[in-house]
Amino acid sequence: MAEERKIQVDEMGLVFGKTMIIFTVLGVLMMVIPAILYFLGIRPYIPLAEVSKYWTGSAAEFWRQVKGFEVHGYGWIFKNLGYMDTLSMLGVLLLMITPLISMLAAVFKAPSLTYRILLLVGAAEFIISLLFKTK
Amino acid sequence: MEWSIILFIFTLLIGIISPVSGVGGGVLFVPLSTIIFPFHVDFIRGAGLVMAVTSALSSVPYLTKIGLANIRIFALMAPVMIITSVVGGIIGLKVTSAFPGGKYYIEIMLGAIILLVFAVMMLSKRLEFPEVRDEEVDGWSRALGLRGEWFEPSLGRIVRFQVKNTPLSLVVFAIIGFVAGMFGLGAGWANVPVLNMLMGAPIKVATATSMLIITANAPAIGIYLTKGAILPSIVIPAVVGITIGARIGAKVAEIIKPVFVRWMVLAILFLAGFMNVIKGLQGLGVIPHIIPGA
Repeated sequence: MAEERKIQVDEMGLVFGKTMIIFTVLGVLMMVIPAILYFLGIRPYIPLAEVSKYWTGSAAEFWRQVKGFEVHGYGWIFKNLGYMDTLSMLGVLLLMITPLISMLAAVFKAPSLTYRILLLVGAAEFIISLLFKTK
Repeated sequence: MEWSIILFIFTLLIGIISPVSGVGGGVLFVPLSTIIFPFHVDFIRGAGLVMAVTSALSSVPYLTKIGLANIRIFALMAPVMIITSVVGGIIGLKVTSAFPGGKYYIEIMLGAIILLVFAVMMLSKRLEFPEVRDEEVDGWSRALGLRGEWFEPSLGRIVRFQVKNTPLSLVVFAIIGFVAGMFGLGAGWANVPVLNMLMGAPIKVATATSMLIITANAPAIGIYLTKGAILPSIVIPAVVGITIGARIGAKVAEIIKPVFVRWMVLAILFLAGFMNVIKGLQGLGVIPHIIPGA
């Protein structure tokens, strides 16, 4: 046990892990709590019965059927945060950006300039990927 | 609502079976769900990706702390996998929306990938403590200090490791990222053999670092979110079911002998891959309908 304490773990990894656990817990709570309320029928953007009626079609067909438009981008989430199903998606968003936040936190403890650059390049790609919208 | 309950029970079972069999939850969820559930494959892939990333996010902090998940390998692989997983996600959704038979093409490709997973799992060996000699360590690995250590209770001592074949591994990880993004499969089935057999990382390090690398697929979730392909009624029962199931499965794995279960799950995986290919081919009209209801 004493030897276990002697292992050398990168400070970069420890900060990455600590940041990740905080945001993962937050993300899961933000995803699950509104979803439970949604399953109880409280303030749905798309009622459960509607969802199960059209989920056999592709994502594009589904949205055309239930809302009359196709979804492009994150606007549908942020414009409808008053509804429990879309609020739940905020938790998914937080989970999605958790590795990004963890990478940015780890930059400050990177052991060398090379790792700082690698983490920043990864983070930049992450951000660009998130901003990319499919047409 | 009934489907959500069935989905919860289904993912709970996958969660239990997964640690016992050594077959990843995501890789079972996606192909089996396309056969069992009425949801379109877009929603299944979106849910599969959220499941894989959430599972990885939950386990990585502890694995990093004890030295098993190697942040240095992650820092190098992440920039490659982020790009390719997003490209995979975009192409996957384009295929289903741009072509009339897009769904069937995806099913055929998914089936082929699952059969490949089956072959990898059948053929790959698990190297507990592979030896990487100093002269085998490549320039990249040496320059970046791609090494680490952890305390191994079974040996009662600290085990140190270093890795080799870094440039080739980068190329392979790029391909894995693409497949993970396109099919929402998670990528442990491919990451672990690459880290273990190609790079020479010990199996425990390979498994833990694979979880860390899976978090680099997180931006692909955005591709599904921006297309509205993530629905709470599918994602939430799936994530909650597999999370609870995995905790039960970890306990069960300590009690029962996993050999039979592993073979059973591999057989299911083969069947799922085969059925996806058949479903796709019959959807395109290449072969007559032999699977009823598909």
